[in-house]
Amino acid sequence: MFGRLLWKLLRGNRGRLTVALVAVISGAAVISALLNLEFDVERKLTQEFRLLGANIVISPGNPAQANDAPSNSPATSASPALMSEAAVLPQVDRMRTSDVVASAPYVYIVARAHDTPIVVAGTWLDEARKLEPTWKLEGEAIASRGDATQCYVGRDVARQFDVAPGGQLELDYLGRSARLTIAGVVDAGGAEDSQVFVNLAVAQKLAGLEGQIQFVQLSVSGTAASIGGYAGRLANSLPGYDVRPIRQVTEAEGNLLSRTRLLIASMVVLILALTALCVLATMAALAMERRADVGLMKALGGTMSRIVGLFLAEVGVLGAAGGLIGCVAGVALAQWMGHRVFGTSITPRWEIFPLTIALMIAVAMMGALPLRRLGKVKPAVILRGE
Amino acid sequence: MAVLVQIENLRKEFGNVCALDGVTFDVQAGEWIAIMGPSGSGKTTLINILGGLDTPTSGRAIVDGADVGRLDESGLARFRSEKIGFIFQQFHLVPYLTAIENVMLAQYFHSTTDETEAREALGRVGLTDRVEHLPGQLSGGEQQRVAVARALINHPKLILADEPTGNLDEANEGIVLKLLRELHSEGHTILMVTHAASIGQLADRRIELAHGRLAQVNVRV
Repeated sequence: MFGRLLWKLLRGNRGRLTVALVAVISGAAVISALLNLEFDVERKLTQEFRLLGANIVISPGNPAQANDAPSNSPATSASPALMSEAAVLPQVDRMRTSDVVASAPYVYIVARAHDTPIVVAGTWLDEARKLEPTWKLEGEAIASRGDATQCYVGRDVARQFDVAPGGQLELDYLGRSARLTIAGVVDAGGAEDSQVFVNLAVAQKLAGLEGQIQFVQLSVSGTAASIGGYAGRLANSLPGYDVRPIRQVTEAEGNLLSRTRLLIASMVVLILALTALCVLATMAALAMERRADVGLMKALGGTMSRIVGLFLAEVGVLGAAGGLIGCVAGVALAQWMGHRVFGTSITPRWEIFPLTIALMIAVAMMGALPLRRLGKVKPAVILRGE
Repeated sequence: MAVLVQIENLRKEFGNVCALDGVTFDVQAGEWIAIMGPSGSGKTTLINILGGLDTPTSGRAIVDGADVGRLDESGLARFRSEKIGFIFQQFHLVPYLTAIENVMLAQYFHSTTDETEAREALGRVGLTDRVEHLPGQLSGGEQQRVAVARALINHPKLILADEPTGNLDEANEGIVLKLLRELHSEGHTILMVTHAASIGQLADRRIELAHGRLAQVNVRV
């Protein structure tokens, strides 16, 4: 009979309850979407920040540290500004984890092209584009790390020397020269647009720095904390070298993450409050309408706990149904927000379903506080028609 | 016959208004009592106190051994569900419940529901083919018969009927009064408030109230 009464209560007041249900569904949809974003925002932000490029740099440490350092220390390098390729890169390779998106050593020199000074970066060209995912490349990508015949030129360089992919560029440095085929033109929107990117060995040979590198850049995915942790472990394995996360990037990521989470949490609380208010208003009206029913139920011997229990069950069903429908709508909303904000889909988190439904039931129950008034209904007064 | 209802010096005040002023009488089990009197004489107040819907200001109202004025909220709820069957002038059916569900509602608050028994109760009042109808789909007489079935479903000790035919046409009045006569002949105790002397004459005794006091007591019909 309880279920039958409950069903009749829901059907009998469907006009008013629909208003409350719509409020609960709307609240649940937005909360579910926000919680999906909240759970996924760290991963999305990490992905976004990886677009900013490298976030860990290995460079030569200070000389004092180097003197105490073991055999793979920078002391083996020719200059304090240089590091031994053989001492650093195998260790970086050994410490590589699945979180390391890319890593590459660098040697920078200022060479000449057509008697014009130009910054030349020697690196692993196959890794360079992974380190700088925002680069727009016109032409062919260089897939082979050992390819010493091709190079990338920045957009401004291409414009300055009027060269294009497939063209030739000759670089001179202290009497040494290298003639390279331009594989592609890089549009980075920054300093890289004025640089030439060549194979590491080519740059080393031009500079007479065979086996020497200036620094290593790594792009590591994860949170600011996990990146810091990885940098620490890498530093321990490379004593005497300066291994540090690029602070601005990791801090910005951390700040943005905490601000985004605060914003989401604030919105969830606000929406819960608004939903509760809407349910409250509906229930207040419903409580007035139900005074006659409650008076009669009391006259028939209904205890207040049994009568209010019936109404609370009704509100619970309202919260659960609204929460469930809202969750499904929330997944769709989260997908839309994910595409609009992050340009990618949001992975639905199923644990959000019970959480949102529980929140909606709790909010609906809070909104049902006016039903407490029914406890004061005097059956004799109601049955007199007052 | 055993005394089912004892009313001793019963007094009820609403602010400065004294609705009942020292009313005393007994009702034997199986009696049909008509409570009569002009409007405002305290008839409905008396019925409400006997039914546990209201509490006396002073005095005692004992129904089947239960002193109604001393019962707490849950005790009153139990008292109403176990000992009293109400029939109201305005029928007071839940509009979104069918006839059978209105009857089962009383069962639900008493103990457990039994649809077969509820159906039989409606059959007894001649509504076998109207069990699934909503109150709005029933005539006034049919609604009052549903209320009678609801009042009887828990086998109450006392049936309290407040102007049970006050809202009915002559034909339906006859049907409801016939039902009350049958109930009386089966041994049910009935206290019925009425204005109509013709209806009051159907009862075993008439108790007349005026200004909250007994004007005439134990008038045997």
